[in-house]
Amino acid sequence: MQTKKFAFHLIALFVTVGMVLSACGTAATPAPVPTSVPPTMAPSTAVVLPTTVSATAAPATAAPVAAPTIAYTFDGTGVAQGYKGTVVSSVPADLVTACKAEGMLTIIATPPNWANYGEIFADFEATTGVQLNSLDPNAGSADELAAIEANKGNKGPQAPDIVDVGYAYGAQGVTAGDYQPYVGTYASRLPATTLGIPTADPNGLWSIGYYGIMVLETNTAVVQNPPKNWADLLKPEYKGQVALAGDPQSSNQAIMAVYAAALANGGSLDNAQPGLDFFKKVNDAGNFVPVIAKVGTIAQGATPIEMAWNYNALGDQQSLAGNPPIEIDYPSPSIGGAYVQAISAYAPHPNCAKVWMEIIHSDPGQIAWIIGGASVVSQADMQTRNVIPADVLKMLPDPKVLASAVAPTVAQLTAAKALITKGWLTTVGVPIPTPKP
Amino acid sequence: MKNGGKVWSWFWMILGIVYFFLPLVATFIFSLRAKKGVLSFLAYQQLFNDSGFIKGFSYSILWGVLTIIVGILIFVPTAYWVRLRAPQFRTAVEFITLLPFVIPAIVFVFGLVRTFSHPPFLIVDSPVLLIAGYTVLSMPYMYRSIDTGLRSIDVRTLTEAAQSLGAGWATILFQIILPNIRVAILSGAFLSFAIVMGEYILAQYLAKPAFAPFLAYLIQEKAYEPAAATIISFALTWACMGIINLFGRGQQTQIAGGH
Amino acid sequence: MTTLNSVKRDAPLARPAPHKMSWVWLGVTPFFLFAFIFLLYPSSTIAIRSFQNTTTHVFTFDNFVHLLQNPNLVNAYWISIKISLITSLGGGIFGFLLAYSAIRGGLPPFMRTSLMTFCGVASNFAGIPLAFAFIALLSPSGVLTGWLRSVGYNPYFHGFQLYTFWGLSMVYMYFQFPLMVLVISPAIDGLRREWLEAAENLGASSFQYWRYVAFPILLPSILGTMILLFGNSFGAFATAQALTGGSINLVTIMIGAQLRGDVLGDAGLGYALALGMVLVMAVAITGYTLLQRKSERWLR
Repeated sequence: MQTKKFAFHLIALFVTVGMVLSACGTAATPAPVPTSVPPTMAPSTAVVLPTTVSATAAPATAAPVAAPTIAYTFDGTGVAQGYKGTVVSSVPADLVTACKAEGMLTIIATPPNWANYGEIFADFEATTGVQLNSLDPNAGSADELAAIEANKGNKGPQAPDIVDVGYAYGAQGVTAGDYQPYVGTYASRLPATTLGIPTADPNGLWSIGYYGIMVLETNTAVVQNPPKNWADLLKPEYKGQVALAGDPQSSNQAIMAVYAAALANGGSLDNAQPGLDFFKKVNDAGNFVPVIAKVGTIAQGATPIEMAWNYNALGDQQSLAGNPPIEIDYPSPSIGGAYVQAISAYAPHPNCAKVWMEIIHSDPGQIAWIIGGASVVSQADMQTRNVIPADVLKMLPDPKVLASAVAPTVAQLTAAKALITKGWLTTVGVPIPTPKP
Repeated sequence: MKNGGKVWSWFWMILGIVYFFLPLVATFIFSLRAKKGVLSFLAYQQLFNDSGFIKGFSYSILWGVLTIIVGILIFVPTAYWVRLRAPQFRTAVEFITLLPFVIPAIVFVFGLVRTFSHPPFLIVDSPVLLIAGYTVLSMPYMYRSIDTGLRSIDVRTLTEAAQSLGAGWATILFQIILPNIRVAILSGAFLSFAIVMGEYILAQYLAKPAFAPFLAYLIQEKAYEPAAATIISFALTWACMGIINLFGRGQQTQIAGGH
Repeated sequence: MTTLNSVKRDAPLARPAPHKMSWVWLGVTPFFLFAFIFLLYPSSTIAIRSFQNTTTHVFTFDNFVHLLQNPNLVNAYWISIKISLITSLGGGIFGFLLAYSAIRGGLPPFMRTSLMTFCGVASNFAGIPLAFAFIALLSPSGVLTGWLRSVGYNPYFHGFQLYTFWGLSMVYMYFQFPLMVLVISPAIDGLRREWLEAAENLGASSFQYWRYVAFPILLPSILGTMILLFGNSFGAFATAQALTGGSINLVTIMIGAQLRGDVLGDAGLGYALALGMVLVMAVAITGYTLLQRKSERWLR
């Protein structure tokens, strides 16, 4: 019996050793650049590109692999593996030099699989050779402004240089003095308005980069009969399945989901209260689950139905590659939402931040966002110059769909945001904790 | 025992076995589902190609080994000294080694981070705090294993014999005592290793790229890779426990924290 | 050598000669230094700061008052205690039955060693991997859920939810009952066969044997181990965090949220929370130690 126990444990040991050895064997990835690890680093994640990407747009990803989709991983500490990043030539050389001297760029609340940001990370690092420091990918827009304000005197890696916040937070940041102005080489190419609202701050404090529309995203392996519209979310068959993509007290995506629900339930752009009432009804029906929906939780079935931006839903759909299948439904009415990027007034690395702003408004940067499923500000301009590859053009959402999305003005957004962030706990009463990684 | 009793015994036993194995079987099957419609090891392949996994896994292995070394360096001389020369300190030392049972890991990490993230003790980013934290968390098990080992050998005679031959303290400790409690140390070492590999709280809140925070990240961002990582984690735990059993030869298996 | 012999003859706590005291003390200095810096000092920080006002550092009971006035936090304690009671009772009873079946239940001897091995592994397999194992098992896309659905029964339509209090209890049981098995086995071993035979000789029924012989002997061990289980569950954090994302109101989750800097703006409350936890655990461990001493009488 001693021998049997011995053999049993020996086998277990060999299995483990075998696994570890095979891990060392198959890992052909180079070691990341050994610089000091900033405290809240985002570990690696895979962003999946579609298999048909034209060579002119992203040369390194032209060849499809035998695996179902092309994937590259970005681990936040070095150059992305698999995708080498394109050098963006439209960035002024003096900025690049100044950025190299600064040595780091700190961004916050920007997951690599959000509108294909991972590709832009790689482009930045290829262009400048400077390390990108990604803080707190799960944070919401409110947390980003709080991080700027909390790190006013801090020149270390905890202080964000660049923020990417919801449109309403652009105005909030201006009032709070969180931003510094930058008018880039791309400024003249920006349209005056996007979705009916000003594309850029008149003083250059922020500008819209991309926008999208709120959709319903469903894991159809778990939910055979996906909801098609807002009213469906109240059906008893969706018990414990409906989730938001963030905390409505701080995440712009979640706030806009509530705002969109208001439009569908007797509210208007001036009155977001019905949105809160709607979610109270969803919660009372037992359909709401207070977990933040991420691609993992959607696939595992913890949050099979979520309300998200169309580009995020597309990103999830691509990264899961049909296993499980994701269905995207465009509810009507829905809301269009834009995100603005700004440089922190207290940025420790302002030149790198300016290079970043140049890159995201350059052709490769904007096309990266289109690949990620977002609509971009320079789209019309790029189409005139015929620089968008045909395959990428196919990925843009149907213009009719976008036309049906309603976009609020700054004043309406600000009022709605205030109402929803303060009213969530009192009306709906369900706190949604933000996961740490 | 009456036969009716035997039926009940089998009933509870089978229930226990089912409860134990079902989640593991399910996780394994789940990990094979990465490719749609087919059972394959794709999730494992993707996991091993994930640089974050390699980094997290090797980071935890490295710090696990370092923790074991630090533990041996601190606890073996202490246990030896207490047993040999300073029995009056035994109660105090044992009380301290049992403190991590009373102070849950989250509270301990809370204290560590709050104490050491303000000047003048700003060492929250340094590896010293990480090792110290891991050592404290594994202290009850490491110390108890070493103490049990020392109890089973005649420390006094060995020491006296060595001293009569002219050995100094370092020689006695590392060339005479240590080899004799090899088994006990290995048992404690593997337990510490299992603890460090599975430890989440300290690594997460000190923002270190260890294995457990990576696993937590996987669960949110990926569908099937976390299952593969879970199976690997479990296999590792089993291997550690198996080796302990092998060396311990029936010593009561101890329970680890970090949950 | 004379030094060694004289120490050997003294009673353990007798006062040694002063000059020996200083020399001996040096040997345990590294340990005490280490323990002081990295264990005692941070712990005492928690204790002290919980009685201090966050900004002015004046000594006050305010933090505890605020804690007791905050319904969320009091609720967190209540839910933590509830889940610990349930899993310690459930895990304790199930673990005891399992251990007794393996040791005295007339099963083949290899079942006992297998059970001990499995329990050793299972009680270590806690935290994030365990949470995911149950997600893989019982989430809406889970393996077991799939099997049940294929035979026509969907647990979710009957009100089952994994990411709730009861789901978490089920996950906690996974490391609770093995712990019970491991710790209670020596006590069951100590239940001598002669006592059972003597009782049967005197005509006692099975029930009478248990009621008058076995349970009174085993009760301190069982209770003591259940208290240990209670403490084990009360302090669990990673499992709950990974399974529910922090949406269940437990004290450990609250402290974790405090560390992240959200939920409670008041740092003093965090310290008070932590100290409260330590107090509960201290009571639990003391209870366990006392009951353990009481049960040792029978094991000799």
